[in-house]
Amino acid sequence: METEVKEAQGKIVSAENPDISAPADWKPVIIGILCNWCSYAGSDLTGTSRIQYPPNIRIIRVPCSSRVDPWFIIKSLQSTADGVLISGCHPGDCHYITGNYYARRRFLVAKKLLNFIGYHENRVQFSWVSAAEGQKFAKVVAKVTEDIKKLGPLHRYKKENF
Amino acid sequence: MDYSNQIREITSKLFADNKIDYFVGYRQNSFDDSQVPFLITDPAEIPKLVFTDKSVFNLANYLKPDHTKRKRVGLVVKGCDSRALNLMLTESQVKRENIYIIGICCEGTLDDKGQKPQNCIECVMPDPVVYDEILGTPSGKKKYTVNADIKELAEKALNERADYFEEIFAACIRCNACRHSCPLCYCAKCCIDQETSTLYNGANTTSGAMHALMTWSLHLAGRCVDCRNCEKACPSHLPLHLLHKQNENVIYENFQHHLAGMEKDDRGAFYKYSLSDPDDFIL
Amino acid sequence: MNVFLVETDKTGLQKFYEEIIGKFETYAPVEKFGKYDYKRVLKLSECNPDSPIETTMSVKPLFFPKTAKIMKFVEDSSGTTVSETEEDPFAGKRVILGVKHCDARGLQVLDQVYKWDYIDTDYQKRRENTIIISARCDKAGAQCFCTSLDYDVENSDAHDIRIVNGLNGKTYIQAITEKGETLLKSFSLQSTAPDVAKDEISKHYKSFEASFRLKMNYSEVNAKLQKLFDSPEFETVSSNCISCNTCAFICPTCHCFKISDEKIKDAGVRYKSYDSCNNGYFTLMAGGHNPRPVKYRRWRQRAMHKFVYYKERFGVNLCVGCGHCAISCPVNISIFDVVNQVAKV
Repeated sequence: METEVKEAQGKIVSAENPDISAPADWKPVIIGILCNWCSYAGSDLTGTSRIQYPPNIRIIRVPCSSRVDPWFIIKSLQSTADGVLISGCHPGDCHYITGNYYARRRFLVAKKLLNFIGYHENRVQFSWVSAAEGQKFAKVVAKVTEDIKKLGPLHRYKKENF
Repeated sequence: MDYSNQIREITSKLFADNKIDYFVGYRQNSFDDSQVPFLITDPAEIPKLVFTDKSVFNLANYLKPDHTKRKRVGLVVKGCDSRALNLMLTESQVKRENIYIIGICCEGTLDDKGQKPQNCIECVMPDPVVYDEILGTPSGKKKYTVNADIKELAEKALNERADYFEEIFAACIRCNACRHSCPLCYCAKCCIDQETSTLYNGANTTSGAMHALMTWSLHLAGRCVDCRNCEKACPSHLPLHLLHKQNENVIYENFQHHLAGMEKDDRGAFYKYSLSDPDDFIL
Repeated sequence: MNVFLVETDKTGLQKFYEEIIGKFETYAPVEKFGKYDYKRVLKLSECNPDSPIETTMSVKPLFFPKTAKIMKFVEDSSGTTVSETEEDPFAGKRVILGVKHCDARGLQVLDQVYKWDYIDTDYQKRRENTIIISARCDKAGAQCFCTSLDYDVENSDAHDIRIVNGLNGKTYIQAITEKGETLLKSFSLQSTAPDVAKDEISKHYKSFEASFRLKMNYSEVNAKLQKLFDSPEFETVSSNCISCNTCAFICPTCHCFKISDEKIKDAGVRYKSYDSCNNGYFTLMAGGHNPRPVKYRRWRQRAMHKFVYYKERFGVNLCVGCGHCAISCPVNISIFDVVNQVAKV
């Protein structure tokens, strides 16, 4: 079963559920969990520099990328999110010295396990964005949004919509 | 593998010398040839103690305060059980001077069909890593092999795998037997417990079960010793080892660390880091 | 008791099952991960309805589901609006096959509490619309003790239609209730000369009764337990319990539940799901007080509720002697052993 972008019919098929699709102008919902000291500041810089990036991302601020517990990711995907982006400081620059080193290990295991149970591997993505990288943040969000758009709406394991 | 007599002798001596308040061992089940955990405070019950290759349950579970109330405990452990116990010691859940450990060099257990279960076939460390007394001859560490089930699943297509796991999560009844029988799940207020936490679905939905089981296995990643207490406890017979073995494999391949609880004060893969950890999946 | 009896054989029985599955919404034990659960079946080959077999869950989830929506709500500036949920998926007319007698008896026991202080209309509707067609067990399981308790197993009306695989190789399909008789009459089946058939059925029951390993003196146990609330034996018998919720969820008569709300933004649903008195936080109250923080107190409550309190209030024993709890328990604690050890019989 392949993921097809049925452009001819103007529909996007969900990567995990081939029988679910959305119209071509469907807008994904992406949850962004950013560390306060680097990535959140970096996203702030993107805004003050008036650099455009896709509006699909909703940002949550955490003190450090290692605050991210795996259940944040799962709860987001289970609710209304179609994708999750987690961003922290570059290795060596963590405000709490070693937080992102520990987080890096956890991210890899969580990503692999989510893929194992049936989420496409591009649903959850990670980045290192520093406080000075306004441009990079915009590029990261654009890339993630593009990836999620191709994957279609997430339908697997969703909490019921009321 | 039959150490019943030795265990009874050692236990008699421990009670006679007033070294323990509880002894945790196994006794014969009343309706088939399996064995169940047996906690005794009265030396008169000692003749009921047994230890054979049907002694499967990981007894380190009974060191949680709910069961033995932080008193002095003697217990018998096999290879995997002793690693769970070692990890509990490292994580300050038990005081070393309060326990007397009889370590067994395990030759593998038998399941209820009389076959060696998968975790005994793939066992890497059958010898106890912490003990006051050891029975049997140590056979040493074996070579690590990738679990056969996860290899097979990894080759399936994404939505086939998803369908399979969705069936598993739909069959979960959120009884929490897996969590209660795991020696390393000792949090007094578990975050996936529906009673104490509003983070998780109180209702028994498929999505809620996915959330709970995934979080549980990720909190256990790097600490699981593959004793399969969880899987045997599960009333719906869910193959929970798939989640734990997948994590173990990722940790082994990327961080060269597995076998939780091998050394004292080794808290596992997630309490360490290396400057050269894999980074290429991060943008 | 009605005497609409049909004598047939194994082939006739398979045909009967196929006709039932063809005509009605049918649930039967379906295999999953090595155990059986009651699922909707569309073909006879999907299930095993022949003899009641070890099911993971009893038939209780088809009447008291593990999760059920009880209402919807929407919050806005003017307040909260509450509305009904969609049609109950279990409320239609249906037939259940392969229900052990003890599980079916469990439903009769549950009926008492669901029409007591609050009439549970969902449950009543499900009961009214269901017909239970099952075979009498040929022999007792290792953990069964239904014949030792306070009800007549031989003449029970828990099944609507009872099937008996006679020792003579013939099969007897017997209508026990009016619902069952109406259904049987709608099939093209002839009622047989009742006396020979009744004799064979009686012989089968005697052989079934003789196969029990576990027997208890129920009236003695019930009388003694009433005075043994403070017995220190409760601590010994529950020492290896791990306080998971398995026994209560599996039990055909346990009926404790919890209410939880789930919301996304302003709209949500209120759910009712299983709960268990064995859980450490079952009796935890707002404010922090917990009258049953210790394991043995919870086990004492369970044993007493099953064998004393329910009998006092409703006149029937809550435990039906099915043995589900002992088999599913991670450490195989059997309530039979518990009450016998405490009552010292």
